[in-house]
Amino acid sequence: MTRLLVLLRQRIRRDRLQLALWILGTALLAYASISAVFSTYGEEQDRREILGVAIATRTILVFRGTPNGIDDGAFAFFLLFAWLALMGGLMSTFLAVRHTRKEEEEGRAEAIAATPAGRILPTTATVIHGVLANVALGLFIALALIANGLDATGSMVWGAAITVSGIAFVAFGLFTAQLFRTSRGANSLSVTFVLAAYLLRGIGDAAGTPSDDLLHVTPAWPSWLSPIGYGQFTGAYVQNDLTPLLIPLAFAAALIGLVFALQAVRDQGASLLAGRAGRATAGPVLSSSFGLAWRLNTPILLSWTAGGIATGLLATSLSSVVDQAATDAPQILDTLRRAIGSEASIEEAFVAVFYSIVGILAACCAVQVGIRARQEEAHGTAELVLGTRVPRLRWLLEYWIVGVIVIVIVLAASALAGIAGAGTAADPESLIPNVLEAAAAQLPACLVFLGLTLLVFAFVPRATIAVGWTVVGVAAILGVWGPILQAPEWLVDLSPFAHSPVPAGGETDWTGGFWMLAIGLAAGAVAVWSMRRRELASGG
Amino acid sequence: MTTVISTRGLQKHFGRTIALDGLDFSVEAGEIHGFLGPNGAGKSTTIRILLGLARATGGEATLFGRDPWTDAADLHRRVAYVPGDVALWPNFSGGEAIDLLTRLRGGMTDKTAYRERKERLLEVFQLDPKKKGRAYSKGNRQKVALVAAFATPAELYVLDEPTSGLDPLMEQVFNREIDRVARDGATVLLSSHILSEVEELCERVTIIRAGEVVESGTLAELRHLTRTEIAFVHDPAKEAAVAALPGTHDLVIDEGRVRFTVDSDRVADFLPDLGRLGVQGLTVAPPSLEDLFLRHYGDELAPVEEEARA
Ligand SMILES: Nc1ncnc2c1ncn2[C@@H]1O[C@H](COP(=O)(O)OP(=O)(O)O)[C@@H](O)[C@H]1O
Ligand SMILES: [Mg+2]
Repeated sequence: MTRLLVLLRQRIRRDRLQLALWILGTALLAYASISAVFSTYGEEQDRREILGVAIATRTILVFRGTPNGIDDGAFAFFLLFAWLALMGGLMSTFLAVRHTRKEEEEGRAEAIAATPAGRILPTTATVIHGVLANVALGLFIALALIANGLDATGSMVWGAAITVSGIAFVAFGLFTAQLFRTSRGANSLSVTFVLAAYLLRGIGDAAGTPSDDLLHVTPAWPSWLSPIGYGQFTGAYVQNDLTPLLIPLAFAAALIGLVFALQAVRDQGASLLAGRAGRATAGPVLSSSFGLAWRLNTPILLSWTAGGIATGLLATSLSSVVDQAATDAPQILDTLRRAIGSEASIEEAFVAVFYSIVGILAACCAVQVGIRARQEEAHGTAELVLGTRVPRLRWLLEYWIVGVIVIVIVLAASALAGIAGAGTAADPESLIPNVLEAAAAQLPACLVFLGLTLLVFAFVPRATIAVGWTVVGVAAILGVWGPILQAPEWLVDLSPFAHSPVPAGGETDWTGGFWMLAIGLAAGAVAVWSMRRRELASGG
Repeated sequence: MTTVISTRGLQKHFGRTIALDGLDFSVEAGEIHGFLGPNGAGKSTTIRILLGLARATGGEATLFGRDPWTDAADLHRRVAYVPGDVALWPNFSGGEAIDLLTRLRGGMTDKTAYRERKERLLEVFQLDPKKKGRAYSKGNRQKVALVAAFATPAELYVLDEPTSGLDPLMEQVFNREIDRVARDGATVLLSSHILSEVEELCERVTIIRAGEVVESGTLAELRHLTRTEIAFVHDPAKEAAVAALPGTHDLVIDEGRVRFTVDSDRVADFLPDLGRLGVQGLTVAPPSLEDLFLRHYGDELAPVEEEARA
């Protein structure tokens, strides 16, 4: 017992700053967002409207939650729960891997295992540590909610739902730590799991059945596969039902049992999945610096293309649902039009909104290609390549070309998916040119982000990663959600996404597109040309 | 003889830090040139400028008589480079990295010859090419870069502290490869912070400190600068005879051993005397770079160390 306490205390000491930041930061975020929500959507009418839009456009539901009426608590739960659970999930899996596989990988676990504490007790301590951290997270979030004047019972249910989904993620993190040899492998599988849990419940919400008043949704089956989904089933503030939480708890218990069974039979430092041996010789792709840039960016391309395909499919396949919703609640069409800023039929408006999200995905993919160039430079592998016959200018030019290609691929894949999904629409033929135009209209804005990221890389290399993500994130919020949230026009206009052409209402205005095309190409060209004078900026 | 590397008044500033402060040195064709200096002296910075990876703040550097900054890619056809801190792609195996670098250097023209050279090098360096980059230790990453460098013939090999992660056995393998490329007429620039490491290989060395050259010449010429330490078991009966030996410096008797230093070019002169005295447990320690710095730049040593740590 005392040994367990020693191990536990060591974990808490080591994590105290990091966990305090996660827990208090998340609770503060909850507090601040709820205050903001209540001041933006104080009126019942505003809430009805935003819920109507969310239910009509579906994608918003992916990033929000299950609509459950317009009462203060239920509305806040709808807007924020899944997001907070995502934060808790990341905190939990990182915690689990940090104290298990990471320790083994670095050889510290071996020193502990050689003491009377043995090989099993450290895992037990990590389980307790993870549970405690999630109890604290749930408690502080509940306090933040109560501090905002929300009903105490509902807030406690919300907190409990966060704690339980977090414990499920701790269990999954521990499980991946058994599977992989490296903490990197374990972390990437468990982060994928957390994101999948978030997206599954998002899909469940988006594909759910709306109620007649357009204020409630019954989630579809994908939500049943996600710990975050079970958290939403509690219906905090309305149903206040804790029984759905038993399922993620049982999942966690079973997984932790499995973890101990695995730990008992395997060697210290070993893993269930042996590290795969690589090939002894390079394949044909790795025969030029362009091939190298392409290979390094393939995983990035694949993941964003998958997102593009999913969004494209939803764009057209859900349009019949929208038709119905718009007939029932005509104000939805007004809000949609406000979002895209033009006169449009309901299906066109719908395609336009979805493809603006495809545009964000493609832009993120392009930004990540620029970031990849920076990672190569900071890591030191760019030095190896530039030590051969590859000129600096050509090196960056090739990243630019790869960036343009990935944008085109993400957009093309989403267009094809949109055409495939149009089969269910009332008039598929008329939707196809609309989808193609909407996908093509995203290209200029994406080129602007690619060019901007490369410019930052060329002139302020150490800021590439931070600036790249921040710019695309802020621009996405302003350009796509800004109009829906009624942000001031000048602010929205700062975002390149706001200038993407909107193919709707017959006439399409391509002016913004041509401007951005010119700006994007110019930015890329300046960045590449500047490599003539730029030396390698390694590290930092 | 043609000059392969030449710098004149080379300057490099990183903000306030002055990494190179008027560096002059040159390497002739066919030479194995040791480039010595304590950590932070500016060796890697010089090498990166010579390869066109960094740009000089002032002064001049030429490689094969051309400007490495503007003609980098073209000059690299003739150069094999092993960076000081080898980074590999975490997801590619060592074999993939070696092939990739060879292809980027244009070394795949004769595939069978290349494959034979690669196989032989993998064998002598005892390197498993199937491991992923992230799984290699520092020494093994270095071996990957060395195999890639030696697998394609080059006119100039630029190796930045290439043996710092290798064990003594591998150092011998490395020395043999250097001998081999030198016999083929290649020029080698070999940086190190340990004098004895380059002694075996290099005819000429340049020693730098805080971004400036402090000594340059053949090893024989530099011998006078260094002293070799001689030590043996103390025998009180012979104390007077030892003290009477001419040409000894810094004589001390400590923990039962006698220690003194002699000029490195005069070590052989002492051996008959020591034989006559019948000394026990004799050790002769070669001079170290640290020694040289202590002896000749002793008053300035402290700031050097501080810089190295910075
Ligand atoms: N990119 C850089 N930014 C700032 N200072 C640097 C950078 N690279 C090297 N320096 C500084 O320049 C000096 C020389 O470094 P370096 O050439 O790496 O030395 P060596 O290779 O001889 O150990 C050191 O003081 C180092 O801190
Ligand atoms: Mg160095």
